[in-house]
This record gives sequence, C-alpha cells and structure tokens, in this order.
Amino acid sequence: MNGIQLVLLTGVAFICLFIVIQLKKKLLDLVLLLALVAAAVLFILWPDLTTKLAQKLGVDRGSDLVFYISILIFWFVVLKLYARIRQLEKSFTQIIREDALKKASGPSSNEPDSK
Amino acid sequence: MPELYHTAAKRVVVIPAYNESSVLTSVANSLLEKGYSIIIVDDGSNPSLSSHIQSLPVYYLRHRANLGQGAALQTGFDFAKKLNPELVISFDADGQHDVNCIPSLLEPLLRNEADVVLGSRFLSAEKTNIPFTKKILLQIARGVNYLFSGLLLSDAHNGLRAFNRAALDKISITENRMAHASEIIFEIKKHGLRFKEIPVLIVYTDYSKKKGQSSWDSIKILFDLILHKLFK
Repeated sequence: MNGIQLVLLTGVAFICLFIVIQLKKKLLDLVLLLALVAAAVLFILWPDLTTKLAQKLGVDRGSDLVFYISILIFWFVVLKLYARIRQLEKSFTQIIREDALKKASGPSSNEPDSK
Repeated sequence: MPELYHTAAKRVVVIPAYNESSVLTSVANSLLEKGYSIIIVDDGSNPSLSSHIQSLPVYYLRHRANLGQGAALQTGFDFAKKLNPELVISFDADGQHDVNCIPSLLEPLLRNEADVVLGSRFLSAEKTNIPFTKKILLQIARGVNYLFSGLLLSDAHNGLRAFNRAALDKISITENRMAHASEIIFEIKKHGLRFKEIPVLIVYTDYSKKKGQSSWDSIKILFDLILHKLFK
C-alpha cells in the first residue's frame, strides 16, 4: 500500500464514520453510503479496476472516469444544497414576516401629536 | 395590532423599501395627497427607515433582516388583507413611478374587466428615456417569462401594479428577490386571473438608476427562476 492510498482511505473512513453517526436510522441512506464506501475502497486499493471499467464504458483512462463521475456527484450535491437553502430561506422569511406583521405600526401611532 | 385607521380609504398602496433616502418621503407624500392609504415595508434597511416616515400617517412594517423586494411585497400584501381593501397597488420607493398613472391603472379593476393590472413602460406613447442596455435586457426577460409562463407581456419587470381583492387573496409570492416579478405572472396564469397591461411612465433619475438593477442581477434572476421551477 502506498502513501496516497493511505491518505484516501483515512479520508473515506472519516467521512463514513461521520455520516453513519448522522444517519443511524435511515436505512436506505446507509445502504447507499456503504455501497459508495465499498466502491471507493475497492478503487483505492486496486486502481487498475477503474481503467478496466472505464474501457468497458468507452473512456480511455480510469482516472478520467473517476473525474467524470465526480463532476456528476458534485452537481447533485450542489442542487441538493440549493434545495436545502431555499427551504431554510422559506422558514426564515416566515419568521421575519410574522415578526414584522406583529410589530406593525399604524398611521395614528406614527403621528407625534395624535389626538 | 394597530387600530384600523383610514378604513374609509379602500385603496392601499404597498411600498417595499430598502435603504431609501428622503425620496421615499416625497413618494409617500405624493400618494397621501391623493388620498391613498400607504403601507411601507422596510426590508431590513440599515439604518431603519422609521426616521424618514416618522411624521407621516402611514402603516410601517419592518423586516428584521433584508430578504428582498419580493418578500417585502408579500409582507405588505399580507398586512393589506387585514385592512380589507378594495384595491391594492404596488409602488416603487425610488420615485420612478408617477402617482398620476394610478387612476388609469385602477380603471379596468373598477370596471371589473381585470383582476390584475400591470404597468408597462413600453406601451406608453410618450418616449421614455429607457437606457439602451435596460431595453435589451427587458426584451430578453419578456421572452424568458413567456417561456416559463406562456404569457407574453410587453414589459417584464415593472413595479407598478394593481390588484383587486380576489387577486390579492390568490397571489402568493415565494420568490424573495427580484424573480418575484416573473412569479406574479406565473401566479396570474396559475389562478386564471384576468389581467391587463396599461401604459405607465417611468422616470429614470440618477437616484433610481443607482437603486435599480444591474445586468448581473438579471443573470441572478434567471438562476432564481430556474430553481423556482426545479424545486417547486
């Protein structure tokens, strides 16, 4: 095992641990995660496998295939995050709006010398 | 809850405002002169706008954080419903709208020919001094709105609009920022509201140009629109 494999495997192990703690109850997410982790470990330990798979899919080098898949995953994550941000913004807006409506001041209370 | 002042005046003007100056005061005064009730929604301005409008007989609401013009408008609409208005008008705070355009805007509503009336700067016979890049961007925006909503309007983002009670109750703006202008068109389509475009004059002052949107903003609006459709 060379240096980069050690670094990558340690990274994957930490990410895996973190997510397992987060998702203990969500079975489907956990299964998906374990499949991803297994694939990562497999490809880190036997990098030649990516090249074999790549050639089957019509891509020259294994590292290119990994790169393309990474871009797809990156976009997926970006969209998921945007969806989440929009959701947060919605509740944020609701809270601020309720506050503004509650504290609204009317024409009479604004007039300093109102009768 | 503030007491319901001016309940006789059933025409309510909602003004979303963010970091406005004394122009807001003169806009409010010109509307008050014509007898409209005014709701000013301060969209988290810093410093707060309360000093500008302290002496004015208006309803004043303040967002504690800046959310965007769309959010401010919807807050104003929510508050307007409590006043039980006959008609609601949205009006920009930067002085680019003309108060004298409002009566022609309200006419189709009063004759019950439309639920929503949208101001259009391109229908006006008088030549307005619309900056060139603005003209191009607004044409593109028209096309985008048409693609998304199926309604082709002559103006895409005009802040001067009028709504009757039915439209007020149905339209709900969820786009906090500038994409709300397109969202209003989607809502018109979705709820099958009758709408009409009326020529209005837009006055481009240095102040309103500075407060207005840049070309970069239109990219952000497009992005917000795509997300709006994706994450409905």
